[in-house]
Amino acid sequence: MDGHLAQILSHDRGLPALQAQVTQLFEECREDVYRYLLTLGLDAARAQESAQEVFLRLYASLKKGEQIQNPRGWIFRVAHNYGLKVLTRQSAEYSFEPDFESWATSPARSPEHELLERERMSRFHRAVENLSEQQKRCLFLRMEGLRYPEIGSALGISTSAVGEFLRRAMARLKRVRDE
Amino acid sequence: MSNWHSQHLEDGLALRYLDGELPARKARQVRKHLEACWQCRAEMEDLQTTVADCMRYRKQVLATQLPEPPNAWADLSRGFDGIDVEMAAEPFWKRLTHFPPSLMWSAASVAVAVLVCFAYYQLRETPSVQAAVLLKRAIAAEQARPAGPRRVHIRTGKPTSAAVLFAAAHYDSADPLSARSFSTWRAQLPEKRDEIENAASCSVGQTGRPLGTPVQGCYLLRTSTTTGDVASASLTLRTADLLPIEGRLEFRDRNWIEFTDLSEVPDLHDGSPVASLGELPVRPAVPSRPAAIAPGETASISDELQVLSALHGIGADLGDPVEVKLSNGHVEVSGVGVSAERQRQIHRALDSMAHVEVAFSDPGAAPAPVQATAPERAPVFSAPSSATTKLQTRLEQQLGGRAEMERFSSRVLDWNEAAMARAYALRALAQRFSQDQQSAMTPDDRRVLRQMAREHISALQAHITGMEAALTPILSALGAAAPPPPQPPAFTSWQAGAEQVFRSSRRVELLLSTVLGVTSGEKPSADLPTNLLSALADLRVNLDQCNSLLAR
Repeated sequence: MDGHLAQILSHDRGLPALQAQVTQLFEECREDVYRYLLTLGLDAARAQESAQEVFLRLYASLKKGEQIQNPRGWIFRVAHNYGLKVLTRQSAEYSFEPDFESWATSPARSPEHELLERERMSRFHRAVENLSEQQKRCLFLRMEGLRYPEIGSALGISTSAVGEFLRRAMARLKRVRDE
Repeated sequence: MSNWHSQHLEDGLALRYLDGELPARKARQVRKHLEACWQCRAEMEDLQTTVADCMRYRKQVLATQLPEPPNAWADLSRGFDGIDVEMAAEPFWKRLTHFPPSLMWSAASVAVAVLVCFAYYQLRETPSVQAAVLLKRAIAAEQARPAGPRRVHIRTGKPTSAAVLFAAAHYDSADPLSARSFSTWRAQLPEKRDEIENAASCSVGQTGRPLGTPVQGCYLLRTSTTTGDVASASLTLRTADLLPIEGRLEFRDRNWIEFTDLSEVPDLHDGSPVASLGELPVRPAVPSRPAAIAPGETASISDELQVLSALHGIGADLGDPVEVKLSNGHVEVSGVGVSAERQRQIHRALDSMAHVEVAFSDPGAAPAPVQATAPERAPVFSAPSSATTKLQTRLEQQLGGRAEMERFSSRVLDWNEAAMARAYALRALAQRFSQDQQSAMTPDDRRVLRQMAREHISALQAHITGMEAALTPILSALGAAAPPPPQPPAFTSWQAGAEQVFRSSRRVELLLSTVLGVTSGEKPSADLPTNLLSALADLRVNLDQCNSLLAR
């Protein structure tokens, strides 16, 4: 998707076309950006507003003639920086607590299987919560499909640091699975 | 990592392999190792399962359990209109900077020149920090800062020599992480566009602090251009003192080179800077103390030498991220990212020694001190492109096909990697113990020092012999002339010789990677095979001379 988007964004920059392209991108990526902002600690309302703001900034940057080779990487970088700014103004950090009690993965599965899967995901969630902030951010961005240089650019760290944070995160998550 | 057939994959390599983040050559080595090693393959599958768990967690938990957006998604068109109106209301000179380049170029050249001059004048008058002003201030801060060595970690996107990339970029390789170098590069661009971001949320050094607390800010300066090999370059400056902490050059062929100040690499939560990651440092080590310390109750230069010798005995001086420093009356041995097995070996080798403190970084611990390294002007070579393609085709034919070529390249590059590790280690030793310091040593210490240096040379000679034996018949068949007799080396101490050996090794490495197609370049040259044989001969002569100086 990135290559295609980069292509369309790098060509015709007529105003209606540009608006249509950013709108298309917004529709494709807004849920991912919103989810990332929630994991960053923003509450739902601020996360939604911030996600919208990110795409308006994308439009403004493109309109100014900025060449954006990798729109998805750019969006997450701006979302991260903007999200942190918003977070400083928020009184308390949003904490994600999934309701595993009422959670069902698939009605077709047996109750035993459901229970096992629920316990597994609950354990996995606790392990994710126990990762360091930076490990979590790298992991969530990687889950969104960003490559190491893009994650590094979003978080302002080197690519090798991204690799190290991800390695540590995966090692911890693997340990939890083996327990 | 030196022996792929007998050692298992290092921790951390597997994930980067799965994520496609390894250089092509290393990825090939990992793939080959996985074919042969059941244990690593099982671990790789285990890791793949954890990746699958992550994605299941994303799909089943994050996507379903995170709160839905409280409102319907807004129609952005109103926001677009607001931006259009806002930009239309901006002063003319400011709007000029928003024009897409295509429109800029389509305007009449004289008019554009006049407008740009006018816009430049206006921009210069604005209070906001502009690129040129920012760089000027950073250069002034650089000059005011006490001169001292910095350790810079250099990484490249593709397996290309840093020297080649810097040369292609016309960027000063002697001191890449400086405002002056960036400014010089920027000044030579016929066309450029700057972006500056004052990032209060710059994440460098942010890890481990609670979210929302003030963090060290940065200026992110990015200059892009439509001419030359480099598409854009960026420099991150610490706001407090305008110290450059990270730089990056992006090439049009999607290659890149990144240079990071190791003292700024985030490590706070896990206590592990990434000094241990990536390739061997391009920069040299400098002595860990200013001068020899007289023997006494506290650690002396002799103790430091014994520690180095013990590490040398277990091969921990060949690229392991282990630092040795004489400080506060102790020999401090530290390391980050050192495997548990290696840590045990090092403890076993050093724990019985007096005045030695061994500390490896664990998650949550303070970062280990990193050894300072001084900048060095890397040699610059121009490598061919079209000629090398032809050369590689001929090489493939000569060797009997692509598979054979792959095997041949792997073998020779492995030798070269091992040779480079020795060249680095030899030079580090020479820089740590100068000729004067060596003269002040006891005869026993001198013997230990010379023995270590000789062992590095001997191993290097063996690797060179292997490379020569493999390369000479092939390169000769491709038309390489017998190299002229090398000039006798002019150095008179083994320490100076070690530097020369290092430079010769680098030259061999560059030419070899060009011949094998690992590095791409600009200028075609039919002399590559001859030059490579000649560089090998030079290296051998330097090694022989160095060895004879050590024997005196």
